[in-house]
Amino acid sequence: MTITVQPGGSFVGADLSADLAAAALDLARKFHDGATLWVISPQWEPHAHHVAVEFVHPVIMGKRALPSVALVEPDPVAQARVASQPGDLLLAVASADEPAVIDAMRRAQAWGVLTLWIGSGPRPPAGAANHILWIDSDDPMVPATGTFVLLYHLLWELTHVCFEHPGLLKAPADECTEEVCVTCSDEGRLAEVVLEPADATGQALVRTAKGEEWVDVTMLGDVKPNDLVLIHAGAAITRLTSQLEVTS
Amino acid sequence: MTTHESESTSFLYPFIESEETDAKSLLDDLAASARGKAAESARLQRSSLDEYNDGLTAAGTEMADRFRRGGRLYTFGNGGSSTDAATLASLFSRPARGRPVAAWSLAADEAVVTALGNDVGFELIFKRQIIAHARDRDVAIALSTSGNSADLLTAITEAKQRGLLTIGFAGHDGGQMAVAEDLDFCFTVHSQSIHRIQESHAMLGYRLWSVAQEHMARPRNGARTA
Repeated sequence: MTITVQPGGSFVGADLSADLAAAALDLARKFHDGATLWVISPQWEPHAHHVAVEFVHPVIMGKRALPSVALVEPDPVAQARVASQPGDLLLAVASADEPAVIDAMRRAQAWGVLTLWIGSGPRPPAGAANHILWIDSDDPMVPATGTFVLLYHLLWELTHVCFEHPGLLKAPADECTEEVCVTCSDEGRLAEVVLEPADATGQALVRTAKGEEWVDVTMLGDVKPNDLVLIHAGAAITRLTSQLEVTS
Repeated sequence: MTTHESESTSFLYPFIESEETDAKSLLDDLAASARGKAAESARLQRSSLDEYNDGLTAAGTEMADRFRRGGRLYTFGNGGSSTDAATLASLFSRPARGRPVAAWSLAADEAVVTALGNDVGFELIFKRQIIAHARDRDVAIALSTSGNSADLLTAITEAKQRGLLTIGFAGHDGGQMAVAEDLDFCFTVHSQSIHRIQESHAMLGYRLWSVAQEHMARPRNGARTA
């Protein structure tokens, strides 16, 4: 008697295929604008390497090489923080309870990085990443059966199909209007502290999706590098706890 | 350029909706394509498991015997297959359930790989490690979607000479691996797609692991079935 597992392909129904399609179009658009794809997989590093080599050295001759790098150092959050720039992409292959990935996915908002999350088991909460590509199976062996490989293969294949539609590669119009809204509205923006205040003026350097800026942090008292804060009208108004537990 | 083109196109065809609609149709096509490829991936995994059921059982059983004698597993491949080799080694060495055994990917150490590649040539990056590490109770698994990678073939020959159990995962028509006498088992996934072949390699490797686990869980001196 041998244990059989479900082929990964059998999980790709209407919902997951639509998720893959939307993710691929976003990937293609970001690559088109010069993005680098950073990949983390703290539990299964080879998956991170496989994604990177897939994009850098395509198996189909004639497909363009795209910048992608596996970040496999012991602290992937620190590595992604320093590597990523606004407009980049961050892909994680990880379970929903992987602390470093939860942290990186949240901070990516402050880095201006679009996030994708491939995994299986209990799902991350909605909105934990821009694109959640999930295998709804509790089998702990899923990561070793080629199922994740299938998902990132499909992502790569679909992304290259998008390049054949150059007219669709520019950002959709609603993104521009959103930017206008953020600028003029009361919305708080997520920021990560880069430099704590050097003097009594209470100005700290933070990075947001739009780049770096100096903000007033006197309302919060002490802030340290890498603290996550919400900023509004040139001031940091709330500190976000760095601890985040998965509730599922 | 392209923007100009599409703008002038929509000007000429006012009844074609804006790009939102075009993206919708592309997204539908992409989703359908994903489902088609996924179905093919599942079909190929199933048919490969069926085709090699007996061989996988025999190979997995032999692996278990070697692990019981203290044998280690070396996996190796190039590119994406090197990462799949690493995933397979991790499955054996730190499985989510079952008994871990010693296993590692021969591409994992960049110091060793670059030292060998630079000093003795890329073709010998795996063979020289087999020479250094291998004992006669060990197991070597080579993964190549073409079945023709020279660095794998030389390592397999070396492994066979040293008494290792040699297993190959190939693709397409199996290439040189399909006819290599130094391979005790060769599992060729019959597909023209490197992606689909790799997905099936993972499934075949998983089956090897489950057979080996099952046999390692049996009492040592108990009756064994083939």
